[in-house]
Amino acid sequence: MEKSDILYRLTQAVIDMDATRAAEAAAAVIQHNVDPYEAIIEGLAKGMDKVNELFESEEYFVPEILLCADAMNAGIEVLRPYLPKETTWNKKKVVIGVVKGDTHDIGKNLVKIMLDNAGFEMHDLGRNVPHAKFVDTAAEVKADLVCLSTLMTTTMDGMQVIIEDLKKAGIASRVMVGGGPISPGFAKNIGADGYAKNAAEAVKVAKGLFQEIHVPLILKTPELVSVRRNQEGVR
Amino acid sequence: MTYTDEITPKERMLAILQGKEVDRLLVSPLILNFASRSLNLTVRDFCTNGENMGNANIACFKKYRHDVVYLFSTTSTLAEAMGTKMYFPEDDAPQVETPFIRTHEDLKKLKPVNPEKDGRLPVYLEAVRRCVDAIGNEVFIVPVIGAPFTTSAALRGTEIFIKELYTDPELVHTLMKVATQSVKNLIDAYVKAGGVPVTVEPVATGSMISERHFREFVLPYLKEVYAHIHSYNLPGVLHICGKTKRVIQCMAESGADILSIDNIDLLEAKELVGGKVCLMGNVSPADGMLKGNPEVITDMVKECVAKASDNPKGFIVATGCEVPIHTPHENMVAFLEAGRRYARLPINLN
Repeated sequence: MEKSDILYRLTQAVIDMDATRAAEAAAAVIQHNVDPYEAIIEGLAKGMDKVNELFESEEYFVPEILLCADAMNAGIEVLRPYLPKETTWNKKKVVIGVVKGDTHDIGKNLVKIMLDNAGFEMHDLGRNVPHAKFVDTAAEVKADLVCLSTLMTTTMDGMQVIIEDLKKAGIASRVMVGGGPISPGFAKNIGADGYAKNAAEAVKVAKGLFQEIHVPLILKTPELVSVRRNQEGVR
Repeated sequence: MTYTDEITPKERMLAILQGKEVDRLLVSPLILNFASRSLNLTVRDFCTNGENMGNANIACFKKYRHDVVYLFSTTSTLAEAMGTKMYFPEDDAPQVETPFIRTHEDLKKLKPVNPEKDGRLPVYLEAVRRCVDAIGNEVFIVPVIGAPFTTSAALRGTEIFIKELYTDPELVHTLMKVATQSVKNLIDAYVKAGGVPVTVEPVATGSMISERHFREFVLPYLKEVYAHIHSYNLPGVLHICGKTKRVIQCMAESGADILSIDNIDLLEAKELVGGKVCLMGNVSPADGMLKGNPEVITDMVKECVAKASDNPKGFIVATGCEVPIHTPHENMVAFLEAGRRYARLPINLN
């Protein structure tokens, strides 16, 4: 079997939400001595990129993304034993969680899936996470980005507390916020560096936060990008 | 308050339902757990005790004179009565702790509710009766029921449940059937207690599932629910928050007479379904009620009226979703006052 065929099968299995086919294609990777790392990047992750596009264009919704991610993970599980143990990927580290008082975590899980696929190293604290846990973990893993999610109006103020506590603790992580009641205006008011209205946009915003040169991003929240630029101008 | 009413909310609602002339549009913020503030109760004390829930809503109505008195704590109350375990934060809405249906085996234990006995449904029924006794001559008492899809999601765990739209559609339909019967049982009990039940289906929002899935898994059951409500000659009300542009056509096909909507432009909603259904919305709970000030809220109310007061099938001034429990009193007053002023008929926004 050609390498390109195998990679195509991996990509397609993810898009088709088919965990069985993803695992089979991953087994073919090993059988035909294809580089497992390349299989993940050029096969499975490429599929998730396409899924992200389908989500943005509203052809895919939450169930589809969750099942595509399951298919990708089924492929990765097969490949994992063959991956080099020590990798020196210089990934940006992200701490993510749902703020205390809220247990709705589907949105957070989608963002985690998408950022993971976009090459960020994810540290997932889960849901109903105490404010201090975000700060402690950000310090511990030297996080580049802290992502805060909530669906409830009663817990949104916790985001501001966390942002202030991060500053007090001298942690330089950027902060991105999102969730049902969160608006770009609220994000700006509490001093967040980024706001994303959904998981697809979260990838763009997160990538935008770590660009060395500030190419204007096509974001739906231009005011935040400009806020950040102004802050950096001051530095 | 500067702008007072000459007729009771009940007289207004009846006039509107009968197509008679009326002083103004209905002004109906979704006051749910916020009612607890009127008796300085924690949400936990409010939603676990029928006397508290009833008395707080009575006090809240006497304070604000809003057009509809809703009784609600969480969209998962019906699932809770069927077996899902909830956890009750001291001063916030209850949330799902452990879904009831963990395995296929658990399906054997699943049965429609008995509203007089199961879960906190007796709390609600007592609250309905108390409100009907105390203020039922002035205002309709409207208990809010989690509709079948939302109830099923809380029975199974939302993330697993929505995956099963693909992986186990049979299980989804099994849950939906029992949930629908539970909804109908609860409607019967509420009507008997003097309430006018309405339904909320937020898990079926357009931010969550596709229109195709809505048609296959949600719509048939909603139709059954509204047919049942119509059998009592009551109007069907469907609330779905979040983004609903993708599913609003389906919502309008459900048989519901009134759609309560949140994150969709009212002009767009009017264009899409205004010829079929009355619209209700959509001042922002977070940016408006909680974080806004009286001026911002007045502008938001005006904007809603400007956009939708000419909706062919009618319009109700409301919030897009639940009024946050920490909404400042002056913001609530501003909402109601702006409604009383700008929703007066004929509409004059100056």
